[in-house]
Amino acid sequence: MSNDFAQFQDAFFEEAAEHLAIVEEGLLALEQHPEDLDLLAKIFRSAHSIKGTAGMFGFNAVAQFTHKMETLLDLLRNGQKVVTPQIADLLLKSTDCLKTLIEAAKSNEPVDNEVVQRLTGELAAASESGGQAAPQAGVAAKAASAPAANQGHTYIISWTPPAWLFQRGLDPLQIFKELGALGTLSEVTVDTTKLPELAAMDPETCYLAWTMKLNTVKDRKVVEGVFEFVREDSILKIEEGHEAREENRLQPASPSPLASNPLPIASGLAPAEGEEPKPLGELLVESGAVSRETLDKALSQQKRVGEILVEQQAVTPQQVEQALLKQRQQESAAHAKKTDTASIRVDTAKIDKLINLVGELVITQSMLSDLGARFEMRQMPILLERMAQLERNTREIQERVMGIRMLPIGTAFSRFPRLVRDLSAKAGKKIQLVLSGEETELDKTVIESIGDPLTHLVRNSADHGLEPPEERLDNNKPELGTIRLNAFHEGGSICITVEDDGRGLNRDKILAKGIKQGLITENDKLSDDQIWALIFKPGFSTAEKVTDVSGRGVGMDVVKRNIEALGGTVSIKTALGKGTTFTLKLPLTLAIIDGMTVRVGQETYIVPLLSILESIQPKPEVIKTVVGKGELINVRGTYLPMMRMYEVFSLQPEYTDPTKAILLILETEGERVAVMVDEILGQQQVVIKSMEQNFRKVEGVAGATILGDGTVGFILDVRGLLEMARRGTPVAA
Amino acid sequence: MAAAVETITKDSSQQTGLTTDDSQFLTFSLGEELYGVDILRVQEIKGYTAVTKIPNTPPHIKGVLNLRGTIVPIVELRTKFGLPTIDYTMFTVIVVVVVQDKVMGLVVDAVSDVLNIDKKDIQAAPEFGAKVNVTFLNGIGKSGDKLISLLDIDRLLIDQEIKEALATAA
Repeated sequence: MSNDFAQFQDAFFEEAAEHLAIVEEGLLALEQHPEDLDLLAKIFRSAHSIKGTAGMFGFNAVAQFTHKMETLLDLLRNGQKVVTPQIADLLLKSTDCLKTLIEAAKSNEPVDNEVVQRLTGELAAASESGGQAAPQAGVAAKAASAPAANQGHTYIISWTPPAWLFQRGLDPLQIFKELGALGTLSEVTVDTTKLPELAAMDPETCYLAWTMKLNTVKDRKVVEGVFEFVREDSILKIEEGHEAREENRLQPASPSPLASNPLPIASGLAPAEGEEPKPLGELLVESGAVSRETLDKALSQQKRVGEILVEQQAVTPQQVEQALLKQRQQESAAHAKKTDTASIRVDTAKIDKLINLVGELVITQSMLSDLGARFEMRQMPILLERMAQLERNTREIQERVMGIRMLPIGTAFSRFPRLVRDLSAKAGKKIQLVLSGEETELDKTVIESIGDPLTHLVRNSADHGLEPPEERLDNNKPELGTIRLNAFHEGGSICITVEDDGRGLNRDKILAKGIKQGLITENDKLSDDQIWALIFKPGFSTAEKVTDVSGRGVGMDVVKRNIEALGGTVSIKTALGKGTTFTLKLPLTLAIIDGMTVRVGQETYIVPLLSILESIQPKPEVIKTVVGKGELINVRGTYLPMMRMYEVFSLQPEYTDPTKAILLILETEGERVAVMVDEILGQQQVVIKSMEQNFRKVEGVAGATILGDGTVGFILDVRGLLEMARRGTPVAA
Repeated sequence: MAAAVETITKDSSQQTGLTTDDSQFLTFSLGEELYGVDILRVQEIKGYTAVTKIPNTPPHIKGVLNLRGTIVPIVELRTKFGLPTIDYTMFTVIVVVVVQDKVMGLVVDAVSDVLNIDKKDIQAAPEFGAKVNVTFLNGIGKSGDKLISLLDIDRLLIDQEIKEALATAA
């Protein structure tokens, strides 16, 4: 059971992460436009959602902390306080803290309570200081539940929620809980008159309406705020009442509807996910063939819930929470198998298209089998045509299915506004970040893995690419530095550029440093590109001082390695004094690559197209040896080491004479090598299959694939191949 | 040794969820000898088809096969056991087994039967010292006048363990 519950928690964490992103993004935007009330409302809503769901799942630390944030946000929203840089900063810090709290809840690890407490204090202080708004908000949670609340207003609230309430996963109980937190909630009565016959009832529609009495010190706005999410289509009346009248109504009014028709409350207990509430759903199913027995059983079940609620006349949060928890546990048991740990959200439009395509595929298939059943030679053209259609369908389905894993890169970009904000503060520079191409889609796994390399590059640009404001002004540049992040498709790849208008790479400095580190000699004649490539060498840094953020070069080797691990490349364009652009070129997906099929003896191998520069058939005079053994190939003036693939892989080749064979010039991590194969068969897209799943890593092999004839072909790991060749001896496993 | 075998058999029966005293074994032949693997570990039996050689792997790893989209390594049992290799015939089959979540294929001369072997008919594998490595045998089963070497495929096919077993045997 606990495990099933955990799966719901996963959904919460996913949702919370999204809301956190909205809050953070909103706060950053708010700094620029402090008066934007829509923005504030958006931030408030997200914070509110986190609080609500966190409370529901029993993550009290998260809920309590968010509540504090919400209090401050509420003051801002109501205009009782103004967004100052200090407040924005505090809220951002609090968002970080909230992130940590949620992480902690996820991993069940303890949190640094000191930070939480300090921020809680700061939030409370910020909420209190300044004006009469203070007493209301600053004491929010505590004062609200205290009996002293009686002194405030008494509101008679009548609320008819919209019919879609459950469909949107909203839970009236949450509202009651929140009202309860504002003061003393009593006399909650439910209007069940709209409730249809059991058989006609849609468990996802809300047929209920409530009236209740709330005694609170808060003013009307705060109370209205509780209905924030549902205000849209609700019929909501909040009247100021007075005690005497209510006392009279309290006793007779509430028990009767509750006791006689407790069922709707049960639906109120339905969890927020908008799933069908279990008892009702069951009842509905059963009502298809209503047997006395089942109905009785159902009724007795209802009564039990009803009794609880009668007792709860003044609904206390704890009781409700317990009931809710129980309900949720039942719920999660039923849906346990549905959720997967690593889930993906897919645009329904994508799925619709896919369904259409599968439909077409089925039609093509039936046309083909029809043709096959009574095939005559003269129908050959029709057969070929249908085969072509089948091919088209298959290819399109393949593309669309891959598309399901595609997410807009915006999710990876979203962390940068915050990063740049913090960096500019830290480095004392004025930096603006311009994002574009956020809607460009690429594989989920790629998105997840480029986050870190990108962060590195952005940091680098902020810290070392961009000059301090004075220097910029001296150089006739605007004080405000710009970092641009852009993503776009180019051919079968995706390009991501990180561009700054800073000082650019200094050729002489890098050269000097390279010589000093012994990476190059003074006599080396290097092209610009080769010089820029030096900054990707491990430990290479041109920064005079390495700051706490980074040094240009520190960690750049890691960036390059990470990108290449994804089958991508990094290139640099730079102009002294004008700026630097890093371009990452990545395959769209990791599951399919463009490959060149080559033959060595009887075996077929696939070489990733990305690493192939060219292929040549060498003339005898370009082949030289060093120390009698090491073979080098002169390719237009540059000598490249030659590797005989049959040697490395212990195969029987067709040719041992390089002039008869084909040399593939491959490049990996800036190194070039000529690899000798017997023949190039052609170019094709291959689906990567794991070798490790059932066997283990094979040196020099990046993975396997299924070739056209159904046999297995290996995809070469160029890096590994190089290392094997360098060692000279194949490792016999 | 006997006690150790006892535990092993018990463990494997727990693993497979068998509570009865006899277990079913798929038996197959390598030359004149009969071998058996726990039937619950066998996923399927398929005729031999050409495999793709994996570069730089020991000789008993024949290569890999495409089994409905999954890459499955194929082990030639004869080579694995140091028996002389023979030409494959129409009886040569691949027994696909599941070993600790990994799917592997065993090339054997021919499958022969599925046998129920009572626990009491299983005796510990005899010890031959360093001459014959029997660490991957669960025991010796008797069925009529047949003798069946019952394989512990976990030990047999997981490289690491084999290395360890060999190290301790030597």
